Amino acid sequence: VQQFPDTESHIHYAQLGTDVTLQCGSVDRDAAVTWTANSTDLDASHLNGSRLVLRNVDLSHSGQYSCYEGSSWHLKYRVNLKVGTPPKEPALMCRSNNYPSGFYCSWHMPIPTYIPDTFNITVMHDSKEIVCDMDVSLKNRCYIRYLHLFSSKKYKVTLTVTNALGSSSTSISFDEFAIVKPDPPENVVAKPIPNNARRLLVTWQYPSSWPDPDSFPLKFFLRYRPLIIDQWQHVELSDGTTHIITDAYAGKEYIIQVAAKDNEIGTWSDWSVAVHATPWTEEPKHLTTEAQGAETTTASTSAFVVPTTTSIGNSEEQGS
Amino acid sequence: MASSERLPGMSHHRDLCRRTVHLLRKMRSDVSSLLESYVEKQGLDKNFNLDSIDGVPTAGTEQWSEISDAERLGDNLKAYWAFQILLDEILEEQRSNLSPDDTAFHESIQSVVLQVSGLAYQLEELMAMLEHNVPAKELGSARDAGGKSSFEKKMRGMKVLQELAQWTVRSVRDLHHISKSVQTGAIPRSSRRLAQAQKK
Repeated sequence: VQQFPDTESHIHYAQLGTDVTLQCGSVDRDAAVTWTANSTDLDASHLNGSRLVLRNVDLSHSGQYSCYEGSSWHLKYRVNLKVGTPPKEPALMCRSNNYPSGFYCSWHMPIPTYIPDTFNITVMHDSKEIVCDMDVSLKNRCYIRYLHLFSSKKYKVTLTVTNALGSSSTSISFDEFAIVKPDPPENVVAKPIPNNARRLLVTWQYPSSWPDPDSFPLKFFLRYRPLIIDQWQHVELSDGTTHIITDAYAGKEYIIQVAAKDNEIGTWSDWSVAVHATPWTEEPKHLTTEAQGAETTTASTSAFVVPTTTSIGNSEEQGS
Repeated sequence: MASSERLPGMSHHRDLCRRTVHLLRKMRSDVSSLLESYVEKQGLDKNFNLDSIDGVPTAGTEQWSEISDAERLGDNLKAYWAFQILLDEILEEQRSNLSPDDTAFHESIQSVVLQVSGLAYQLEELMAMLEHNVPAKELGSARDAGGKSSFEKKMRGMKVLQELAQWTVRSVRDLHHISKSVQTGAIPRSSRRLAQAQKK
């Protein structure tokens, strides 16, 4: 494998598992020298004349190597050895969470390279290249503004990753509609409804990232279950941002989440943050002893009434 | 065309917009299934990135949010008039030589043709209601049946169905957009009188 000595800042990149030979700058091949690794002397067994030979390098070999002239201990050369790997195919994904304003693409390296990588992304649509503006805050993410809406032409995004030891690239192609996935609904609140032992009022808001709810309305999917049961109940709501659960078990604490999807296209958002609520329960009355006796007998006979479950279309499990 | 009762208290336009959105959604699902079976039966590749074809209205647009309501409805209407002619041509090509025996397939095309004409009618009605000038209906595109190869006919048909599917989504957005301006009071006086007269 070819190594790439970086003459400016004496950085030397080497591939994991290969043998590395470091030259002591312009010193004569047979001159007597001493090499140190991170200021620790290296014994003569590593030397071949004035050159340092490192076998089957691994990550621990990365570091600063210095070469001193024989007796004078004069520093002749210093190099930073960086051991790593050429990049493997990067993972690339594009998504529109603020349709129809635009979409973002983000990427990561499933297998680290341990040395600096640079990324280059190109976005093509209808044979034209579109600018992908790098995100200032989020690393490995860039943003594309839709210049054209409702286009039947596919987008093609190509990402190339390069480092000193090689390069790799990946491409994805998609329709405008396919990558639309809103952010989860926000400010989900669930509250008991006074005097209703089996009801809960759930409210939420559009994700703030969704720019035009009027022309691009979302529909919602609500799932809820008592903490004591694992099976979720689902209900799909084509508009509005409130729902009353009417079949809650009396007195049981519930966990509730909401997801969102564009009414026409794309996929469901991840589930919102979970909220908890317990249906309203009657305040215990201040009873006289006689009434208390009667109360205890009736209490023991009242069974745990299972509500009739509302039938919900097969729900699309979304989100992580 | 599915007709359904107008919800009490809902203005005439909002009801017509709602019913048209309803039809568009039905159409979208039918067109998507038709496109899928079309691609399979013609042995084409659905991922083929087709360039625009003369006479096939493209749904893609650059200044979508800046278009006026009149222009918005007019563009929709002209597109669906064109699709009526194009779908008739596709049906004719399938019947005459591309898939002469596949009557079920022909019926699925015919059903979309009927939906498109119903949609065009509703759009025209909405334009009149909102007092927008209904555009002139252009004559059908000259059919040079002999000029195209079978492959070209198939590709053209795929492009027509692809663009129609895109239009069904765009049209729903257009109608939402128009509903919004209708709600914010941009209703012409006489239409308001019509809506009030129906309330009595």
